[in-house]
Amino acid sequence: MVTLEKNIKSVKDVLTSQDIIVFEFDSLQGRKFAVIYADGLADKQLLGELVIKPLRDAESEAGYEEVKRRLALPEVKEGKKIKDAIKEVSDGNAVLFIDGEKDFFIIGLKNPPGRAVVEPPTQVVIKGPREGFTEDIKVNLGLVRKRVKSENLKVKMLKAGKKSDTAVAMVYIDGVCPEGLAERVEKQIAAHEIDIVPDSSYIAQFISGKPRSVFKRNGTTEKPDIFCAKVCEGRLGLIVDGSPIALTVPYMITEDIQAGEDYYANSYRSTVIRLLRVLSLFIGIFLPAMYVSAQLFKTQLIPFQLLLKISSSISGLPLSPSVEMFLTLFVLEVLNEASIRMPKYVGLALSVVGALVLGDTAVKAGIISTPAIIIIAFSAICLYTTPDFVETTTTLRWIFLIISGSLGPFGVVLFSAFLICYLVTEQSYGVPLFAPFAPLIKNDLYDSMVKANMFTLNNRPEVFGLKDKVRLKSK
Amino acid sequence: MRMRISVRQICFIMLIYTAVSRLILYPTLLSYQSGRDLLFSALIDFAIQTVIVWSVSFLCSKTDKTFFQLIEGTLGNVTARIVYGLFALFFIICAVIPVFEQKVYIHAIFYDTIPSLLVFLPFFFFAVYAASKGFENIGRCADICLPVFAVSLLFILVMSFAEVKWNSFLPVLKMPLKSVLSGSVSTIFRFFEPCWLLMFMGYFKYKKGDALKITLSYAGGALIVLLMLAVFYGIYDEIAASRQFAIAKISLFFPAIEVIGRIDLAALYALEIVMLFALVLNVQLAVHCISECTGFKKKEYISVAVNAVLLLMVIFLDNKFNALHELWSSWMGIVFIVFANVIPLLAWALKRGRND
Repeated sequence: MVTLEKNIKSVKDVLTSQDIIVFEFDSLQGRKFAVIYADGLADKQLLGELVIKPLRDAESEAGYEEVKRRLALPEVKEGKKIKDAIKEVSDGNAVLFIDGEKDFFIIGLKNPPGRAVVEPPTQVVIKGPREGFTEDIKVNLGLVRKRVKSENLKVKMLKAGKKSDTAVAMVYIDGVCPEGLAERVEKQIAAHEIDIVPDSSYIAQFISGKPRSVFKRNGTTEKPDIFCAKVCEGRLGLIVDGSPIALTVPYMITEDIQAGEDYYANSYRSTVIRLLRVLSLFIGIFLPAMYVSAQLFKTQLIPFQLLLKISSSISGLPLSPSVEMFLTLFVLEVLNEASIRMPKYVGLALSVVGALVLGDTAVKAGIISTPAIIIIAFSAICLYTTPDFVETTTTLRWIFLIISGSLGPFGVVLFSAFLICYLVTEQSYGVPLFAPFAPLIKNDLYDSMVKANMFTLNNRPEVFGLKDKVRLKSK
Repeated sequence: MRMRISVRQICFIMLIYTAVSRLILYPTLLSYQSGRDLLFSALIDFAIQTVIVWSVSFLCSKTDKTFFQLIEGTLGNVTARIVYGLFALFFIICAVIPVFEQKVYIHAIFYDTIPSLLVFLPFFFFAVYAASKGFENIGRCADICLPVFAVSLLFILVMSFAEVKWNSFLPVLKMPLKSVLSGSVSTIFRFFEPCWLLMFMGYFKYKKGDALKITLSYAGGALIVLLMLAVFYGIYDEIAASRQFAIAKISLFFPAIEVIGRIDLAALYALEIVMLFALVLNVQLAVHCISECTGFKKKEYISVAVNAVLLLMVIFLDNKFNALHELWSSWMGIVFIVFANVIPLLAWALKRGRND
């Protein structure tokens, strides 16, 4: 006969922390029970109302089958091994032991603290859904299921992290997702053993194949509508417990110049905005570098009248153009970093001090010229038109700046050629990063720099090589 | 065999690389040799090359084998390796003048004052990287280059058109025939496109009508060059022979430049990217030939070796560009005729057939 004490001891020997609560109680007939759960993770109210109360009030002899019948909860599993009980308690569920029974019940009462579904700060829209993913994988999966009700929507649960045992949901549509993709992704996640997976960015590195590259190999989104649209296009999505940022593969660079709102607005307007984003991207990356090149190596690049203005503002500056630009960019990066990390109110004061006082004083003191500040500020604004790409573009801006200061315009051109040469053969799960431009895929161009109307985009992206190509069929 | 390049990409290569590799000194040299009849000199060369390009692309329709396999199947493996070794050497020779040309062009156009030679040398880092890549990379780079080329060249031509004096070409064909022909002969070393096609043979899937597409693309590239020559000579007339770096000089007189600065430089810089890819194509093909010839598959090492040769030439023959050019436009032309014209035609004599 297995005693209740023995089972409790087996669990408590491993989970020794004081926040692992053991609650023992008897039924009216005197049958003993014990519930073990992690304080703060399990829903105590439900535990009390739907587990403890019915069992305590049981007038009949509460045998194993009777208990099973009385547990009016949707997520009840039977457990046999103590190590399963330990795992479930750590995960936030409750375990119910019955005196005299070897088997036990795992009750799905996981309810970790989390925030509500709100509009994600990085993907704000004027038109379109405002819901955003949260840190709770169940909520996130619910947001996906709410939008995609197909029976072909598959969700495969994986685990990552030796210590964290983080849940990773692999979401795809069977028959639409490229064959073998799910297996490849699963294999890559399983191939890496790490202590903890606190965010989806860890998984992003596992699946990238080239973690040292400046260019990412997966799409990211905080919005379930975008996530679902990408999954329906044939991509595979990954939702990681504890992270509001979902991943999608395969990835193409053009994805980052697209925004969710493009699909909800008029296609002409969306095209103009997309072209503007591309232009901003180029300006953001190249403007500081070309300004330095122009000043140091090719003054003809600057219109004569503007050149006169610039020369009057830089006369007497103690720094060379490249050092000046480097310093200004450095200050911008510091201000950017500090304003994100600092407490809200200090951050506000800091941006005033940084932008107005520091900038103005530096110009008046003759350390930095006004054009340098304008160029860096404009470059920073331009890069934030494509926020998902900003990690890459800011790095590229630094590289181009260093090259232009040392090699001049030819260096900038040469490095651009190198980047093209590098990027055209880079892939994300067999899909070229530069598609649909290289290789040129005519039909996919309609949703790249331009955004055609919905009826032109009646097929899924050709680059994925899908069997089920049609996404819109008008009758 | 895996198809590494598509017909579309080959067409792009034929169209844009043919054009960009003749935009720097070629117009000046033709103006010097043939005067106002420079278009006829260019036309003779392009007409011959177009026929050979058609011949090679038509040959592609008869077989799915690579050029190496064709030689191997007819003359044996050793001969195939020797021929590819010679082609490797030929592609290096093809790259020499364009590399020097690029160097002087960059020094003159990208900088206010002539910089040190060191400024150009990072080009070889790029060349080493690019040349170690395969045909797939070549094709995709061409995909990217097409819009860059189209937009930037159109931009420059639009800025230039207003200044063209079309009567500069009159009277037509009044120059001595000898000068027209000498213009054609002395620039023959700039024509090697049929060899590119020979190397691509077997690496793309031929479909009916592709020979015509490739030939028309080449002809399109030739037309762009002719247009460029016309604009250049139409602007500078008799002093065209003393105006180097044609592409950078034709848009100088655009009225808006006074107000908004040298905006044409932005187009020239974009066009330079295409020029770099066109330049590096010969190096890529040299690396491919050496790899086939030796059976050594690590292209990175071959690329380093080939570029080292070019780098040493650039360093040690830095001031000998004129002498080199003289050499290339004289008897070296025979080498170009043999490799770029005769061998592609002789390829018809090889046993054709299809891979199993």
